[in-house]
Amino acid sequence: MSQVRISESGAQFCQSVFDDMMSQCDAVYGVLISTVDGHDVVRSFKQDMPAPKLAAMMSSVLALGETIAVEADQQQCRYVIVENSNGYILTLRLKEKLVLSVIARANANLGMLHSISRSAVEKLDEKLR
Amino acid sequence: MSEIKVIITGTPGAGKTTAIAAISEVPPVRTDTATTDELADVKSETTVAMDFGELTLEDGQKVFLYGTPGQQRFEFMWKILVQGGLGLIVLVDCTRADPIADMGMYLDNFADFVAETGAVIGLVKRDVNDTPAVDDFYQALSQRGLMFPVLEVDVREQGDVSLMIEALVSLLEFA
Ligand SMILES: Nc1nc2c(ncn2[C@@H]2O[C@H](COP(=O)(O)OP(=O)(O)OP(=O)(O)O)[C@@H](O)[C@H]2O)c(=O)[nH]1
Ligand SMILES: [Mg+2]
Repeated sequence: MSQVRISESGAQFCQSVFDDMMSQCDAVYGVLISTVDGHDVVRSFKQDMPAPKLAAMMSSVLALGETIAVEADQQQCRYVIVENSNGYILTLRLKEKLVLSVIARANANLGMLHSISRSAVEKLDEKLR
Repeated sequence: MSEIKVIITGTPGAGKTTAIAAISEVPPVRTDTATTDELADVKSETTVAMDFGELTLEDGQKVFLYGTPGQQRFEFMWKILVQGGLGLIVLVDCTRADPIADMGMYLDNFADFVAETGAVIGLVKRDVNDTPAVDDFYQALSQRGLMFPVLEVDVREQGDVSLMIEALVSLLEFA
């Protein structure tokens, strides 16, 4: 069990942020908050996806992205983006120990995804302890 | 065969990251992040993707060492990391409740890989009472039809880590 637990009001706040993201960009069909060590915390998925497995994978991918950046003499990894023939998966850090992942269909605009993810992080950052 | 790939696995806290740091000739690649679950009582960071280190054996053989995450939720990384590997080192933390079962868990999960290659068992943190004898591990292995070296090691010591790697390389050379 994850020790990172969000209060009921915190979870509601997250859901409202997720809803906003999905209404700003209807190509988004999944948003997930997980811990840096790979536990699923809160999510909103429009289709069935294995949240615990995704949570573990997102922590690996973000850690690798951050490590690769350092090896290539680059600083402050902002996002890890997986771009596929039919969609995007965007992962970024949220506070110190959390990860925000945004899953969208290919008709999303990558710039738009960046901006809604950034603003979601800002909102969540303020509200979550 | 001028470069070989060795994979190190075992329970969280067994010492996979420590072993690679102890022996690597290059600064090791680490992907440790903060622990947020009950493991936090034991350690503040855990590996979530992989460790990587390099060393050169006496005969000039280059060894690439890959450490896995320990938790089962990262089993997708186990499958990725064994690709092209020469063999497996399983670190067994003898301070845990049932070290023999822990060894079995990793041998089960890496069964296909181990069947094609081979493994060395490294018993760590032996400085504790009431831990199974080395023979008990050999017996558990033989019940599985396996004959692998079992070594008592301190993964903080470079010499001990290199002992496991040499044991693995010679096991596979003469297999
Ligand atoms: N007392 C004692 N401590 C040891 C011994 N061997 C290793 N350790 C300690 O055990 C810890 C092992 O931690 P890690 O190397 O991060 O373990 P890991 O296997 O990489 O763990 P995860 O990445 O969480 O799966 C380190 O703090 C080592 O110093 C030993 O023989 N005795
Ligand atoms: Mg580790």
